[in-house]
Amino acid sequence: MIKTAPATTTAARMQTAFSEGRLTWSGLALTVFSILVYLFLYAPIIVLVVFSFTRDEFGVRWTGFTLDWYIRLFNNPRMMGAAWNTLVVATVSTIVSTIIGTLLAMAMERYRFRGRNAMEGLIYLPIVVPEIVMAVALLAFSAIVFDLIKLATGETLRRSLTTVTIGHIAFSISFVVVVVRTSLKNFDRRLEEAAADLGADSWNTFWRITFPLILPGIVGGALLAFTLSLDDFIISLFLSGPGTSLLPVEVYNRVRRAVTPEINAISTLMLILSMALVALSQLLQRRR
Amino acid sequence: MQMLRVLLVTLLLALAACGGGGQPATSPGNEYGASGGDTPESGDGVDRSRLARELYFYNWSDYIDPAILEQFEAEYGVRVIVDTYDSNEDMLAKIRAGNSGYDIVVPTDYAVQIMIAEGLAAPLDKSLLTNLVHLDPNLLDQYFDKGNVYSIPYMYGITGIAYNTKFFPDGIDSWAAIFEPEQIAEFRGKISMLDDARETPGAALRYIGQSLNSTDPAALERVKEILLAQKPYLAAYNSSDVNRKLASEEYVLAHSWSGSAMQARNGLGDEFSGNPDIAFVIPKEGGMIWMDNLMILKDSPNAYTAHVFMNFLMRPKVSAQNTEYIGYLTPNKDALDLLSDEIKELYQQGFAPDEEMYKRLEWAVRNEGTTAFDDLWTEIKGE
Amino acid sequence: MATLQQQQQGRDRIRLALLLTPGLLWLVLFFALPLVIIFVYSFMTNDALGRVVYQPTLDNYITVFTQSLYINAYWRSIWTSVLTTVICLLIGYPLAVFIARSPQQWRMPLLMLILIPFWTNFLVRIYAWQIILANNGIINGFLELIGVGRLPLLNNEGATLIGLIYGELPFMVLPLYAAIDRFDFTLMEAAADLGANKIQAFLRIMLPMTMPGIVAGSVLVFIPTLGQFVVSELLGGAKVDYLGNLIQRLFLRANPINWPLGSAMAVLMMIVLLVLIMLYFRATTEEER
Repeated sequence: MIKTAPATTTAARMQTAFSEGRLTWSGLALTVFSILVYLFLYAPIIVLVVFSFTRDEFGVRWTGFTLDWYIRLFNNPRMMGAAWNTLVVATVSTIVSTIIGTLLAMAMERYRFRGRNAMEGLIYLPIVVPEIVMAVALLAFSAIVFDLIKLATGETLRRSLTTVTIGHIAFSISFVVVVVRTSLKNFDRRLEEAAADLGADSWNTFWRITFPLILPGIVGGALLAFTLSLDDFIISLFLSGPGTSLLPVEVYNRVRRAVTPEINAISTLMLILSMALVALSQLLQRRR
Repeated sequence: MQMLRVLLVTLLLALAACGGGGQPATSPGNEYGASGGDTPESGDGVDRSRLARELYFYNWSDYIDPAILEQFEAEYGVRVIVDTYDSNEDMLAKIRAGNSGYDIVVPTDYAVQIMIAEGLAAPLDKSLLTNLVHLDPNLLDQYFDKGNVYSIPYMYGITGIAYNTKFFPDGIDSWAAIFEPEQIAEFRGKISMLDDARETPGAALRYIGQSLNSTDPAALERVKEILLAQKPYLAAYNSSDVNRKLASEEYVLAHSWSGSAMQARNGLGDEFSGNPDIAFVIPKEGGMIWMDNLMILKDSPNAYTAHVFMNFLMRPKVSAQNTEYIGYLTPNKDALDLLSDEIKELYQQGFAPDEEMYKRLEWAVRNEGTTAFDDLWTEIKGE
Repeated sequence: MATLQQQQQGRDRIRLALLLTPGLLWLVLFFALPLVIIFVYSFMTNDALGRVVYQPTLDNYITVFTQSLYINAYWRSIWTSVLTTVICLLIGYPLAVFIARSPQQWRMPLLMLILIPFWTNFLVRIYAWQIILANNGIINGFLELIGVGRLPLLNNEGATLIGLIYGELPFMVLPLYAAIDRFDFTLMEAAADLGANKIQAFLRIMLPMTMPGIVAGSVLVFIPTLGQFVVSELLGGAKVDYLGNLIQRLFLRANPINWPLGSAMAVLMMIVLLVLIMLYFRATTEEER
């Protein structure tokens, strides 16, 4: 089939690629398959971006182009505030949980100590607890702690973005640990030993050798933590205070009543913002 | 050591960053005076110096016209901050935990009973609620709060069948239209029932001529058969976006609250406009009535302001405006006349009860025995 | 010499403490302690108003173990989660290989592309699936156009499965990528040189060496799926109870709500999962040593 292919430039180039062994049928199949998977992942995204511009007020049909939903959104301080709160919580909880999680992963992979099995269990606990259960537990716990603080200091505390962030960090740590540990396993420790032999202290060894090698794992863990925080709705609902709404909660309440293209619009904006952040961090990394 | 310092600094920064954003700008605990007593309408008996600057209102989603909040702020200088919930139980969980920071909540009938029993409600000062005279006495003094010591009606609703007249030109008058397999077969996948352990079995109980509070095992067994026979024809058990799906004709027949049906018919604010083909009926076998109520929380530091807000909501004009927006039924008898002709016309067509329909309506009560409904519901979902 | 060794040991201990303490504290304080409350609830009684009454009982556990309804929900959820995990693995593994085999500068962007959709709200994305699959939806509009006619795509267990796979796939791909990225593909060539065919080389070399990623991914997919309730509600039409729906209803929707029974169900689920995971991870760690 390749031989009889018309001599267009693409086909010709493919032919050379095949004959030189750079391109294989299995490689091609893998590429096509991967493109299809990406399409599957992006189908709903395309739908919601496209329908953020539709005139149809149900946001389910294409009835013409409009920017109304964006204008309405910018005039909705509640929605904008919720989006901002969500980004702040997600950023802070990602940073903190990635640091704590990476440290914990190092401890678990590199050291043998008493109580290690118990620690293992503790780490997997947040992964096995259904969100709703965790939300209820944290709500009840916050009530008890607040009562104790009031008893001790007379100060009345309320749930706020701080409590939400604490909760998000608590469930994110474990996911970071799991991902970072996968990159610490199979890690060639001789590299570290070699560095030590060459006189590097452990601080330098970590930053020069270990860190770059486990960076994919750390980045993966951080991304996971960020994703989890952006999406969490139940814990956010239960741990947030009055007047400090978060986007997932806002969206949940509105979407369940009547989904509007306005929701599609804010999702599109969040998407663009996240992508811009990613692009920026990539650029910074490359410059370094 | 440096690592530890980095960690500590990050932690502190992090907590400071989110702590700063987390605290409300003004503590709701302060009963500051409003910007001044020189507002034009000061002859309404409201002591403006006792008003708080902000009021925290925990309400169902889409359950108040945002314009009303602006009017209230314009008149009294009090900003009402609304957070929303999706079920009584979500709200209860947060209020039970204490220190919620909210002043007013909107529990449904049975939830009022629970909150009173748990001491979460503050008794009302009727002398501040001068507009109580506008409320329909038939809807006051209900089983869940005798004498309205803790709560006043906000909106009420009835549960029946919403349908699209394009597909049912002859109308519907019996629950058979949504329960009998041979009648619903042609609408397979376009029918929904409420996702609720009391509403859906309750409808089936009325259909077989029983009280919707009946826990008679034989009756419940029959209900189970009916619901299981119906299930294959359903698109979904859905209590959330029935309004939208009726309007967009994703559903043509739905077990629905009158307000959802009204929203499907007339639209909801600027969210979406309505579908004129939607009709609503309380079948001849009867249906459910329920009511959402305003209640001030015991730990609210702004009780006075909360009373003023409640009284404001009971003004006939405000109530009428709110009713037009939300689509549920106002307990405010003096607001009824102020409604638009279109809404009045729909009330005539069955979106609101008349004398005769009232007799077919029933409250769902909660007691030791009614846990049976939950077991039944679990069984239906388990098949 | 002895003092030097002691010094080294002492330094190690401090280092371990520094690595361990923040995580330990956070997890104990904000996770384990709150969970104790749930554990306590699971032995309490519920009253008609849905309040937890502090009257110790074993009834909740007895209910879960003896009523076939609850046991059925467990089985249904486990089966669905296994199915979701296996399909995610089958889709995710080739995808992770594709990314890991891409030119260096493409890997991060490709990985990011997988995650970016997940930065829009989950509920909104699931709603987008409703728009795609609904009776009046995009696919059905297309099917009608080409003369196939409308099909019931939404509100069934197939739609639930699509939603679950869609929602969990990145949690499979990420750890898989982390493992495959570290895999030395020249080993496959070496195996080929030694006469192994591709399948043998994959099964004997690549699969075992990327096992940590497979295990981590499977765990990250299996468990959230077991507790999910949103997908089956929005795409499955809320017609069938999964474990997550049942627990969610007991906590937040039942009349009356029943936190003690919900807690008991959750505690049992967590214990089973925790034991499973620990065994799983233990087994894979042993293999390596």
